[in-house]
Amino acid sequence: MMLSPSGPHSLPVNAWASSAAKPLRTAAASGKRRPSGRRSPVPRPALAEGALVVAGAGLGATTALTITAETVSQLSAAGGLVTFAGNLTGMVGTYLALLMVLLVSRIPFIERVLGQDGLLRWHRRLAPWPISLLIAHALLLTAGYAQAARSGLWHEVNTLLFSYPDILIATIGLGLMCLAGVISIRAIRRRVRRELWWAIHLGMYLALAISFAHVIVLGPSFVGHPLTQVVWSAVWAATAGVVLAYRVGLPVLRSFRYRLRVAEVRPEGPGVVSVICQGEQLDRLAVSGGQFFFWRFLTPGMWWQAHPYSMSALPQPPYLRLTVKGVGDHSAALARLRPGTRVAIEGPYGIFTRHFQRRPRALLIAAGIGVTAIRALLENLPRSARPVVLLRATRREDLVLGTEIADLVKRRGGQLVELTGDRMTASIDQYSLRHTVPDVKERDVYVCGPEAFVTDVVQVVRSLGIPEEAIHHEAFAL
Amino acid sequence: MKRAPLLVLAGTAAGFIAVLSFHTRQVSATAVGRAGAETGGSPSASPSAASPSGARPASAGPAAGNGAVRSAVGPEEQFGYGVLDVRVTVSGTHIADVSVPVLQTAEPTSQQISEQAIPMLRAEVLSAQGLNINAVSGATYTSDAYAQSLQAALDKLHIR
Repeated sequence: MMLSPSGPHSLPVNAWASSAAKPLRTAAASGKRRPSGRRSPVPRPALAEGALVVAGAGLGATTALTITAETVSQLSAAGGLVTFAGNLTGMVGTYLALLMVLLVSRIPFIERVLGQDGLLRWHRRLAPWPISLLIAHALLLTAGYAQAARSGLWHEVNTLLFSYPDILIATIGLGLMCLAGVISIRAIRRRVRRELWWAIHLGMYLALAISFAHVIVLGPSFVGHPLTQVVWSAVWAATAGVVLAYRVGLPVLRSFRYRLRVAEVRPEGPGVVSVICQGEQLDRLAVSGGQFFFWRFLTPGMWWQAHPYSMSALPQPPYLRLTVKGVGDHSAALARLRPGTRVAIEGPYGIFTRHFQRRPRALLIAAGIGVTAIRALLENLPRSARPVVLLRATRREDLVLGTEIADLVKRRGGQLVELTGDRMTASIDQYSLRHTVPDVKERDVYVCGPEAFVTDVVQVVRSLGIPEEAIHHEAFAL
Repeated sequence: MKRAPLLVLAGTAAGFIAVLSFHTRQVSATAVGRAGAETGGSPSASPSAASPSGARPASAGPAAGNGAVRSAVGPEEQFGYGVLDVRVTVSGTHIADVSVPVLQTAEPTSQQISEQAIPMLRAEVLSAQGLNINAVSGATYTSDAYAQSLQAALDKLHIR
C-alpha cells in the first residue's frame, strides 16, 4: 500500500475530489491525462444480431432433424403420432434449455449490446418454455410407447425407467430442472435465502449434463446417423466450453491479472462508504463509465457472495472505486472491510454507457445511491454532451459525491441541479423537467437510482415524447 | 433490439430449410445409387452385402424362368430404435428363406427385442408365404420395418 503525505492510512484527498489527472506515483505515465478509460469496450450490434440469427437457425435445424427422422410407417403405427410429438418436444425443449444456459453465460460481445440486465430478463422470460416442453416430452413418449406396446401407462413408466439404461438418469435430471425452475418463481424465490436458491439453480447444469446420454442413445434422429450425433455433441461441448470460459475462466484470469486489494474504506455520507481498491495493470481494464462489476471480497463471511455494484469513477490506475450504501447485510459489511482484503471482480457489465447515446447532448438524473453510476458516466462523457445533471435526494447530506459531480459538470460546461426535499415538494414531473431543462426533448436521458424512482422518471420522460432509444436507465434493487 | 424477432424467425426458417434440403439430397443420392446397381444383373442369384452406413445396395436378377433361385435385399428401414434390412431368397415364386443381414439397434434392450422377434417373423412369413402376417407384440417397430423391407425386396423380384 502506498503512503501519502497526508497520513499513513489515507490516500490523498485529490484522488477522487476532482477529475483532473492525478500525479501518479509511478515514474511512468506522469503528465498523462486520464490514462484509464482509454480502452472502452465498444458494442458491436452486428455481432449480437448475427448471434440471434444463429440461435434461430439452430431452432429450425433441430425441428427439421426431428421431422426428417420420421417415416410415414412409423407415424401410422400405433402410438406413432404421440411418439413423434414426444420426440419433437424433447428436441426443441433441450435446444431451448441450451439457449437458456448461453443467455446467462456472459458472452462479452453479446453482453455489450444487450446488457447483463437485459440478458437476465430474457432468461426469465424464456424459462417456462424448455421446462414445459420437456415435461410434455416425458409424458407424450410414455403415452406413445404405451400405445405401441399396447400396455398400460404405469406399466410403461416402469419399463421405460428400468429397462432403458439412461432414462432413469434423465428423469432425475428433469426433476432437478423442475426444482430449479419452481424455486425461481418470484413468489417462492422471495422467501428462500439467496444462497439456497443459488445452489439449487446451479443444479440446472447437472440436470443437463446427466440428460445428455439418453438423447444420443435413444433419439430417432441420432440412431444410425453419425453426422447428427457428432454435430449435436459438438454443440453441447461448445456450450459447456462457453460457460466454463466466460463464467469461470475469464473472471479467474482477471483476478490474477489485476490482483485487487482494498486500499481504503472512506465514508462519503450517512450510511454510504467508498471502497477504494488498488491493483496492477488497471490500464488494461477496458471499462466505460456507468458500468458495474460483480465484486467478491475474499474475507470470511463474504467470499462466497458476488454482488453487483457500479463503479463510482473511471479507474485511475492503480485505483478502482465503488461507492455503496449500506442497506443489506453485504453492503453494510463493506464498511467494515479491512485494507489489504483481496478482491475478485467479474465484469465489466452493463449498457448504461455513453456508447448508447444517440443525440449529442445528455441529461443525467440520479437519486440516492444512483449517483454512483451517474458520476462515472459523467466522467466518460465528451464535452459536447453539455450535460445537465439532476440530483434528487431527501436531505442535502444524502447527496454524496456532490463536489466531484459539480467539478465535472463545470469542466464540461454543463449544469447541475440539486432537488432536495420529500416526494411531495421535490418530485420530478413533466412540468418541472421542462422548466429546469428547456431543451430536454433534444437530449438523451440517463436515469439511475432505486427501482421505484427509475420507473416513475422513465414514465415521465416517455410522456414528454422522448423516443425509447434515447432513454437509458439503471435501477438499483435495494 | 427492435429487429430481434425478425432475425430469429429468419434464422429459424433458414436452418429448417437447410436441414430439410440436406436430408432430401442425401436420400435421393442413395436412391440413384440403388437404381444404378439394379441395371447390372446376372442370370443366377447375386447376393449383395448391405453396408450399414446408409448406402442402399440391391441386387436383383432378371426375371428368369420358374425354378430359378433369386434373392433380393430390401432397403434399410429405420424403425426408431435401429435399422434393419431383410433379404429374401425365392425359388420361382416360392419364398425359400428370409434373413436379416443388417440389424443395428440403439441399445441392448432393443437388440434383444429385435433378435427375439426376427425368427418369429421369419417363421410367419415362410408359413404364410407372403406378408399376411401378424406383428410380434412388443416389437411393433421391428415388425413394421421388417415388413417394409421385405415388401420392397419382393417388389424388386416382381413377386406379389
